[in-house]
Amino acid sequence: MSRWCFSFLLIALLGSVPLLAHHSFAAEYDDTKPIKVVGTVTKVEWQNPHIWFYVDVKGEDGKITNYAFSGGAPGQLMRRGIMKSAIQVGSTVTVDGFKAKDGSNNGFGSKVTYPDGRMVFTANQDDQNKH
Amino acid sequence: MKKLIVKISFIAAAIAFALPAGAQTARSAPAGSGSATAIPRTPDGKPDFTGIYQWPTYLPGAERGHSSATTFDRKNFAPLKSGGEAFLEPRTGDPRHDEPRDFCMPAGFPAGMLSANAMQFFQTKNYLTIVHEFQRMSRIIPLDGRPHRKDIEPSYYGDPVGHWEGDTLVVVTTNFKRWMIDDYFYTNPKEFRMHSDALTTTERFQWKDKDTISYQLTMDDPKIFTRPWSQGFEIKAKPEWDKTGLFEYVCEENNRCPGGKCQGN
Repeated sequence: MSRWCFSFLLIALLGSVPLLAHHSFAAEYDDTKPIKVVGTVTKVEWQNPHIWFYVDVKGEDGKITNYAFSGGAPGQLMRRGIMKSAIQVGSTVTVDGFKAKDGSNNGFGSKVTYPDGRMVFTANQDDQNKH
Repeated sequence: MKKLIVKISFIAAAIAFALPAGAQTARSAPAGSGSATAIPRTPDGKPDFTGIYQWPTYLPGAERGHSSATTFDRKNFAPLKSGGEAFLEPRTGDPRHDEPRDFCMPAGFPAGMLSANAMQFFQTKNYLTIVHEFQRMSRIIPLDGRPHRKDIEPSYYGDPVGHWEGDTLVVVTTNFKRWMIDDYFYTNPKEFRMHSDALTTTERFQWKDKDTISYQLTMDDPKIFTRPWSQGFEIKAKPEWDKTGLFEYVCEENNRCPGGKCQGN
C-alpha cells in the first residue's frame, strides 16, 4: 500500500473515531481486543454523542448475532459532508474495530467498508476517487 | 501493531481535523474600507467578532497533543509552586473520575473551548455570546462594564466579563470549579491536567486579518503556578460553515457505553 493510500485510509477512518468529540477511546473500548465482522446493517442511530450502527452477523453455526458499533459525532461527520444516508439499513458491510471493555457485542467501528472496498464514511464517491 | 495503528489514527485525526475543511471564503469588510487590514466593525466602531469559526488552533511550533482538540503546550507552563503538583493528577481507573465527559459531564472552560467543533459568536453592544458545538457550550460574556458576580457557586465555565482595550476584546473569567484544563487524556492517559478553584483566565481576541482572530489565553492559577502563563492560538473564520450552522449536541441522547458499560447488545 502506498504511503498516500495509507494516509487516505487513516483519514477516511476518522469518520468513525469516537474519541474525537466526546470522550476517550480508552474509557470505553479495549485496544487489545480487535474485532472484524461481516454482516447486514439492521439499524442506524444518527444521534449524539456518537452515531451507532447495528450489524447482524451470521456465525459458523448459522446463528445470527447482532453487534453494535460506535462511530463519529453526527455534527463532525455532517460538517464534512457525511450525512445519515452514508450508511443504509440492509447494506452488507465489513467492520474492523475494537470490542467494548465490558465484553458485550458492542464496539468501536474503526474501519467500515462495503463489499467492493469502498469506505462507508467517505463523503462521496467523487471524494474517494480523488485518491 | 494494533496499538501502533490506534496511535497513528489518533495523530491522523489531530492532523486531519486541524486542516481547513475547504477554501476559505473572504469575510466581508466594512463598506468603503479598501485597506488590506480592514476588519469587520460594529456600527459603533468596535471590532465585530460575529461569525462562525473553527475552534482555537495551534500557532506554528506549538507542541500538539494526540487529539483532534487543541491542547496546551507544556513548554508554556510556568514553574509549579510547592504543592502545585496536583496539577498533574493521576488517573485512578475509575472512569467517573478519569473521564467525566464519558458520562456527559461538561468539559468546562478552557477545555470545552478547545474542543474540535465549530463555534459561533454573536456580538451586540453589551454582550458577546459564544456557542460551541461541543456539548452546546454557551458563554454569555457581558461587555457593559459590570463587575464579576459575587457570592455564587464556582462553576465549570466560570464567570466572565469583557472589556475593550483598543481593538482587543479582553475577557476575564473567575470563579471556576476545580476541573480539567484540556484534552490531555489522549496524549498521556495516565494524567489529568487540572486547574484549581483559584484560576483566573484572561482571553484576548484581536483580528489578525480578515479571516483570522488572534486568541491569547492566559492562565493565572496561584494555587498551582508561580506566575501566570499564556498560550497563543488562532481562530479561523469559516463562513462556509454558516450554510449548515451548528448541529445539535445532546450528549444524553444516546450515550450507550458510559465508562465502557454498554446498554443493550
